[in-house]
Amino acid sequence: MTLQTRTGEAVTAPTRTTSGGMARARSTRGTSTVALWREVMAAVRHGHWRLLAAILLAGAASGASVSLMGVSGWLISRAAEAPPVLYLQAAAVGVRFFGISRGFFRYLERLVGHDLALRMQAALRLDAYNHLARTTLIGRRRGDLLSRVISDVSAIQDLVVRVVVPFCSASLVVVGTTVMLARFSLGSALVLLASCLVAGVLLPWLTQRAGLRHDSAAVPTRGALASEVHELARAGQDLVANGAADDRISRALALDSELRRIESRAAWLRGIATGGQIIASGIAVVAALWIGGTAVAEGTMGPRLLAVVALTPLAMHEVLATFTQAAQTFTRSQTALSRLSQTLDEPPVGSGDASQQASGSPGLRVVGLDAGWPGHRPVVRGLDLTVGAGERVALVGRSGIGKTTVAATVMGMIPAQAGRIETAGRVGYLAQNAHIFRTSVAENVRIGRRDATDAEIIEALSQAGLDLPPDRLIGEAGTTLSGGEARRLALARVLVGERDLWILDEPTEHLDHETAQALMDDLWAAADDSPVLVITHDADVVARCSRVVRLG
Amino acid sequence: MPGPIHPRLLRHARATRNYLIAGVAVGVVTSGLMIAQAWLLAHAVVGIFTTRQVAPYLATFGMLAGVFLGRALLAWLNQVLAHRAAAEVKSTLRREVLRARLARPTADQASSATLVHVVTDGLDALDGYFSKYLPQLALAAVVPAVVGAAILWADWESALIIAVTLPLIPVFMSLIGWTTQQAVARRFRVADRLANHFADLIEGLPTLQAFGRARAQARGVELGEEANRRETMRTLSVSFLSAFALELLANLSVAVVAVTVGFRLVGGHVGFETALFVLVLAPEAFLPVRQVGVHFHDSADGVAAADEAFAIIDAGAVAPTRPRLPAPDLASSTLRVREAGYTYPGSAEPALDPVSFEVTPGSIIALRARSGGGKTTLLRLLLGFEAPTTGEVSVDGVAVTDLDRGDWLRQIAFVPQNPGMVVGSIADNVRLGAPDASGDQVVEALTAVAADFDPYRSVGDDGEGLSAGERRRVALARALVRVRHGHARLLVLDEPTAGLDADTEATVISAVAASGAAVVLVSHREAVIALADRVVELAPAVVPGLAATEGVR
Repeated sequence: MTLQTRTGEAVTAPTRTTSGGMARARSTRGTSTVALWREVMAAVRHGHWRLLAAILLAGAASGASVSLMGVSGWLISRAAEAPPVLYLQAAAVGVRFFGISRGFFRYLERLVGHDLALRMQAALRLDAYNHLARTTLIGRRRGDLLSRVISDVSAIQDLVVRVVVPFCSASLVVVGTTVMLARFSLGSALVLLASCLVAGVLLPWLTQRAGLRHDSAAVPTRGALASEVHELARAGQDLVANGAADDRISRALALDSELRRIESRAAWLRGIATGGQIIASGIAVVAALWIGGTAVAEGTMGPRLLAVVALTPLAMHEVLATFTQAAQTFTRSQTALSRLSQTLDEPPVGSGDASQQASGSPGLRVVGLDAGWPGHRPVVRGLDLTVGAGERVALVGRSGIGKTTVAATVMGMIPAQAGRIETAGRVGYLAQNAHIFRTSVAENVRIGRRDATDAEIIEALSQAGLDLPPDRLIGEAGTTLSGGEARRLALARVLVGERDLWILDEPTEHLDHETAQALMDDLWAAADDSPVLVITHDADVVARCSRVVRLG
Repeated sequence: MPGPIHPRLLRHARATRNYLIAGVAVGVVTSGLMIAQAWLLAHAVVGIFTTRQVAPYLATFGMLAGVFLGRALLAWLNQVLAHRAAAEVKSTLRREVLRARLARPTADQASSATLVHVVTDGLDALDGYFSKYLPQLALAAVVPAVVGAAILWADWESALIIAVTLPLIPVFMSLIGWTTQQAVARRFRVADRLANHFADLIEGLPTLQAFGRARAQARGVELGEEANRRETMRTLSVSFLSAFALELLANLSVAVVAVTVGFRLVGGHVGFETALFVLVLAPEAFLPVRQVGVHFHDSADGVAAADEAFAIIDAGAVAPTRPRLPAPDLASSTLRVREAGYTYPGSAEPALDPVSFEVTPGSIIALRARSGGGKTTLLRLLLGFEAPTTGEVSVDGVAVTDLDRGDWLRQIAFVPQNPGMVVGSIADNVRLGAPDASGDQVVEALTAVAADFDPYRSVGDDGEGLSAGERRRVALARALVRVRHGHARLLVLDEPTAGLDADTEATVISAVAASGAAVVLVSHREAVIALADRVVELAPAVVPGLAATEGVR
């Protein structure tokens, strides 16, 4: 099929299914974020080298600012001894070099890091897509599964740019600085290392732990607030008309103050962590002065190194200042990725795609069908159903009784649990919530048949009663469609291909009466002599059908 | 590009202003401590350097430790203050957003998903704005000035270098921003669409599967992601330039200060202690300005979140309130609709052409209209949710919108086309109409509208567990208890029997007719219209295209 990509170039997909190396690794994976990370890393070309480059560049940038301070301290101390100016030239060049290079290294590091993050996101997105494409999604009440996957996938970017690269590069700089300082003063180098571990590891870790506790305390309250607001929005007219609005607002605000209480505890802890980092740097500076000063007094260390030993910790700790923030980002991304990992580890349900091979006899014959999701009890038992050419059969029953499950079974997306289905493979399925892609009208219609010509698309559109130019873009920059138009566009998809059976799933749901009537008129005209199965609970639609099959 | 301080956020929330003042105060004390820290450090290093003795400087070490402790306290205080301000503003905005949404319950510019997002996660973006961006902004305003003054006092030549470089930072940043703005804006739309390509395909997966196209589209995902990466990197390589300029200038300036001060020290033009003092202090002058740049995205996110909230608040803004009048009793007063019409703001075509009729106590009026005829709009006018743009809707000569809303709505029972449900039981939903109704009274009302469900059956989020027809009947029972056991004298019903079979419809009609209240109803069913004392035809609106004739409820 072709779908217009956003740049406007048409992307033609081969019918061969593309699957990267990640899908193969699926079965061996646990649910941990580390495993997911490894897998994504392996799917990116030269992934490890790119990561190494980003870390080294980031290390060089931070190292440059630490060195700038250290070398400057040396330069000034040396200058105080009033040597010939020549002796200062090398240090002066070093100071200038570090002053300039930091910006360059930082710029390059950001480019390499973000490029890697985007590559990893692309790999993860493809993985998620491939997984979801293989599991049948129609008629499953999976709530916000899809929108959650979309937002969870982007957590990998934060993990690369804000956690892994800063942490690894800072570790390099801390080790490098400690080794350098140890040559002058072992004692103060060790204190610096210890203070860096406190400020860069211990405090962020404690904040993260506390953050986790706070998050889990806040989750139910947040959830309650979200559902309160959701209800307030959806039933707004009813609440206002029945004089319950003020009561509802105070209920929401009570949850707000509860949330505020929880969040203030977290803010308190964050404040303590930030203060702790400053105290750690203070300890490193004072200890360096004391130990270094004693060494100078005893004559075991050159006096001009004292400034280096005392000033380096200041610059070093500046590098670690963002780490409590990074720890929180880590918590968030880890939660998102492990949730995603769980989703991706679920075994696929059904076949995903409906099979669309032509068969000899149009129509549908269902005998003694038990339909239900694999691994669950059947929701429909012993269903007998025949739809012949030109027939309009209504499948009715209260919501949740399994009408769409029957449709998914008929389309071959999930196996029948018992009984027999004789049907043509090419089913035209019109869903009440058919997705309209943010591309051109023509590409939206081509979902129904990949190789449809322009003329065929125009024909399908006019049969569907939709007067839109095929090259019109839909979505943000383009047209927005009304509910009726969207359903007609979805109908054009059904009309553009050869169909042996039509399944209309709640075709009038959420449409106002007149729109629904007009749509049904056009639907019946377009279906002509095709067999049609209508899933509905709209009495007006049932009245138009030749036969009614009731579930439950 | 959003300004540094959201003007409306500042005007709107007193907490923001107080916090900014506190932030500046913290900034002043912090810079004082920075200066003390630099001086103590220089003093100790130079002292030990010249005297080769540690003991005389132990007190200096102690003071230095005290300075760090003070800075730590201030940092903690800043966090706590920031949180308080953020929490205060978030609560205020939450309250106002919800009030605004309910002030005009039919102004549905913001979908429920948007509203939930804004009230929960969306406003949380203000945390970053308050706890990271604003404190840095306050520090950036104060610290360079104070620190700069200290350097000026110690060594004016170094101060000159900093004074020349520091203002270059904003100049360069805006220069780069200005020159790249067009390139960035040009790419923005493309990049935005590319970024959403994946979301679009994922959301459309069930549709792709129905046509057997899902697996094949994986190649489209791959190509789309590749294009997305290229385009994003092209944009980023330009937008990172301003951060690059900032880093370069700040570090270069410190380097130049260090080198010049070093050479002047050799020449004896400056003392060792002063030189070290200037060296330690110089980076501190730049740090807050650099941090503002680092936290700039927090600002953008926070401002965007505030804008979203203000958009909803504005949409719900009602005309300046005059003192609302008590509503006349509908048991004896007549509701008059006189040439009332309505045009939505920004729309060329009226949604409702002028219409006139009267609702006398106990009478039944049926409204009949083609699609797009403005029935729903007319019902909104009757309820007082909107004021007519022409003509008037009044009781005893007083416009409905001038009446005290609670007082007016107490006399009305309303069943919208898609009735809203609250989470709880069916009985809870019926009792929304009359909180004091007894269990028996609830069951009676349900039976009257052929809704013989278990009143204790639970209703989930968004009416889950009830079909559209069941929801409508629960809403009808809700309206009936409001008439029978509340104060309602007027039933306003939008398609009360749509989707119901003929028998159920007959039961519902007789219940409505027997209620004794006046009724205004919209219906296309002949059986329902036959019930009316008067049928009002609404003129169909001019319908040039599909979009105008169809609406999704």
